[in-house]
Amino acid sequence: MLSIKNLVKIYDDGTEALKDVSFDVDDGEFLIIIGLSGSGKSTLLRCINRLIEPTEGQIIWNGEDVTEADSNHLREVRRQIGMIFQHFNLVKRSSVLKNVLAGRLGYTNPMLSLINRFSQADIEMAYEALRRAGIEDQAHKRADELSGGQQQRVGIARALMQNPKMILADEPVASLDPVLAHTILGYLEKINKEDNITVLCSLHYLDLVQRYATRVIGLRNGKVVYRGSGEDIRKMTDEEFKQIYGEEAERVRVGPDSSEDVDGEKING
Amino acid sequence: MAKEVEQKNTKAKRKKRKNPALIKKPESRVPGELSGLLSLLIPGLGHIVIGEIGRGFILFGSIFSMILMFVWRIELLAHLEPNLLSMYNKALSRRPVFILLLTFGIILLWLWNAWDAYRIRKKREYNRIKIFILVIAVFFVLGWQIGEINPYKMITRFPETLTPISRVLWPWKAAFTHKTLRVSAKAAILAPPGGNPPPPSVENPNKPYLLAEPTSGNLSRLDENYKMIPGTTITLTGKNFKPDTKTEIWWIDPIGNKFQLRQNGKYVSVITDEKGSFKMKVIMPYRLIPPSSKGKMIHHVEAVQVSPVGGVIINEPLKLAVSRMVETIFMGMIATLFGIILSIPVSFLAARNLMAGSWVTLIIYYITRTIINIIRSIEPLIWALIAVVWVGLGPFAGIIALTFHSIAALSKLYSEAIESIDPGPIEAIQATGATHLQTILYAVVPQMIPPFISFSIYRWDINVRMSTVIGLVGGGGIGFILVQYIRLLDYRAAGIAVWFIAITVALLDYISSEIRRRIV
Repeated sequence: MLSIKNLVKIYDDGTEALKDVSFDVDDGEFLIIIGLSGSGKSTLLRCINRLIEPTEGQIIWNGEDVTEADSNHLREVRRQIGMIFQHFNLVKRSSVLKNVLAGRLGYTNPMLSLINRFSQADIEMAYEALRRAGIEDQAHKRADELSGGQQQRVGIARALMQNPKMILADEPVASLDPVLAHTILGYLEKINKEDNITVLCSLHYLDLVQRYATRVIGLRNGKVVYRGSGEDIRKMTDEEFKQIYGEEAERVRVGPDSSEDVDGEKING
Repeated sequence: MAKEVEQKNTKAKRKKRKNPALIKKPESRVPGELSGLLSLLIPGLGHIVIGEIGRGFILFGSIFSMILMFVWRIELLAHLEPNLLSMYNKALSRRPVFILLLTFGIILLWLWNAWDAYRIRKKREYNRIKIFILVIAVFFVLGWQIGEINPYKMITRFPETLTPISRVLWPWKAAFTHKTLRVSAKAAILAPPGGNPPPPSVENPNKPYLLAEPTSGNLSRLDENYKMIPGTTITLTGKNFKPDTKTEIWWIDPIGNKFQLRQNGKYVSVITDEKGSFKMKVIMPYRLIPPSSKGKMIHHVEAVQVSPVGGVIINEPLKLAVSRMVETIFMGMIATLFGIILSIPVSFLAARNLMAGSWVTLIIYYITRTIINIIRSIEPLIWALIAVVWVGLGPFAGIIALTFHSIAALSKLYSEAIESIDPGPIEAIQATGATHLQTILYAVVPQMIPPFISFSIYRWDINVRMSTVIGLVGGGGIGFILVQYIRLLDYRAAGIAVWFIAITVALLDYISSEIRRRIV
């Protein structure tokens, strides 16, 4: 269980990215954070595993305050929290397998990883993760030879290698087309349900939010402006929608398939 | 949205600022006539007064430096004349086109500058560029003269270069020789005549044989007016030589000096008939006889046939070129290796993204950058001159010079590669709970290996190319022998070295681009 309390982040240049953000995430939730670009979604996600140091506030992860953790402890916390990124953040010139194995680094003896050694068990685990992601046959290709959707699966496989209790997904489908977006989010949902891994995901497309979220938090200018369950967001009115995104937002129909009757909204900010 | 509108406003403001047409200049109180007059007195002064400061300084600087250089060139052309006016006249007579062009150019520019100052004040719109075309034209005329450009000389002297060029282009005659067989026979001749002349040669049916008739005579000599008085004509009869072969006639004087006989400016030679015999007439040559050796002396005339037989011999220039080329390639390789090893640590100090952490590291960064830039801006040839003083002539000096330059150049390239790595993977690896070292190994190093290899091979390429010329200043390698051959005017031997350089550089170019293409 994760609970964020009064989180504030002010960057060195004075930008207030997060202003007193508080919310709780129960285990097994698929929590989606929505908001315009620049509303603080990425900062919020990165504060949770302290890729960005929060300025104030607390992040309580399973009863411990992550913001207080020393570097050894922080690494332990980080390896329980997988992360996937909008631009996949794979090492492009390394093989797919090596990228996936990198997810194991938190468990590997630093001395062994110096000489590029992973245990046989880790390697088997990596193949298993790739098999689950459906890209086992790509294991020995260079990461940048894969398509965007495949690269994101590698990113998820890397996160799964950590045996995470939670996955932070920073706009995982923003670089992908809508069809692929559904596949990737469907895959995340499967992981969420089958492995009972909590997912914290920031998203742009409202139709995707309505389809996958169990809970939704709306951010605007670093403040939480909306909280709701999955049910709430499916019944969301245009007024509420505009409250989160601002007046210029408009609904755009996107879907995995035009025959499918899904109302999609894209936010033009 | 309000924010959007605000942004649009600032954008519009920025646009306004960028467009010079919309700038309102502060009104100058100086009337146009005065600004023109001021610029007529001192070029650019009027411009400065009416607020066209940059334009004023550029005009002043150009006209001032033009006049200085003009005076300098006149002084060079006529430094013996007593005063400036006579100097000018002398220079005018020596280089009329140049002097006239510049005189009119500078005067025109000066007047134009005054008018420009007047017009800018009077009219809002004016042509900003035309006057600078004239400035550039005048500088070009100066540059033509300072550079001593002379297309006429270039064309008329071209034929003289044909011989050296053809030798450099096709030097292989000097690369190989054949083993030769030398067939010769001598006949003795007494000069001046009198006493007992040597007996004619004895005929031997198995040996080449040369008969001279008579066996005594006078050498050619010079009279008081240095006119050549030809010596005695001698009939030479040769037998038992190789048939149908060119035979040269040589003269051997009493102290053993040999030289090939020349008659009417041509070397004397004859081609033997099918039996190996010949008969010809030669005039006894002119020899400067030292006063101490007056008296009767025995000279010899020799008929010589040199014909190639079998085996090819590799000449010294070719052997030397090959060995020096090997030396050159190794110089380049070792300098590159040292450069790579030493520049890796330096490149980390010169990478801004790694050094921006605190002001201490930032100072180290700036110091490293400055040193790198200074070293890099000094050519390897100059480093080689210093290194030759340091460790003496030879390849080691060249290696030191190339290593120095490589460290600086590679550090810069490497540090730029470090600066341009994608931070995404670093973030991702950190998020897995990896240590700092693991993050570098798994996120930074894989991104840096391709540019590192690419730059290193590129540098190797450059270093081998540089090491071919670094010998010019004594740094060893093939340049060392190249410059010697050129100074000895041995263009064929120099040509061999040039060929080797060209082949090696072309090969290396191909190999390095091929490796880079495959790796990167």
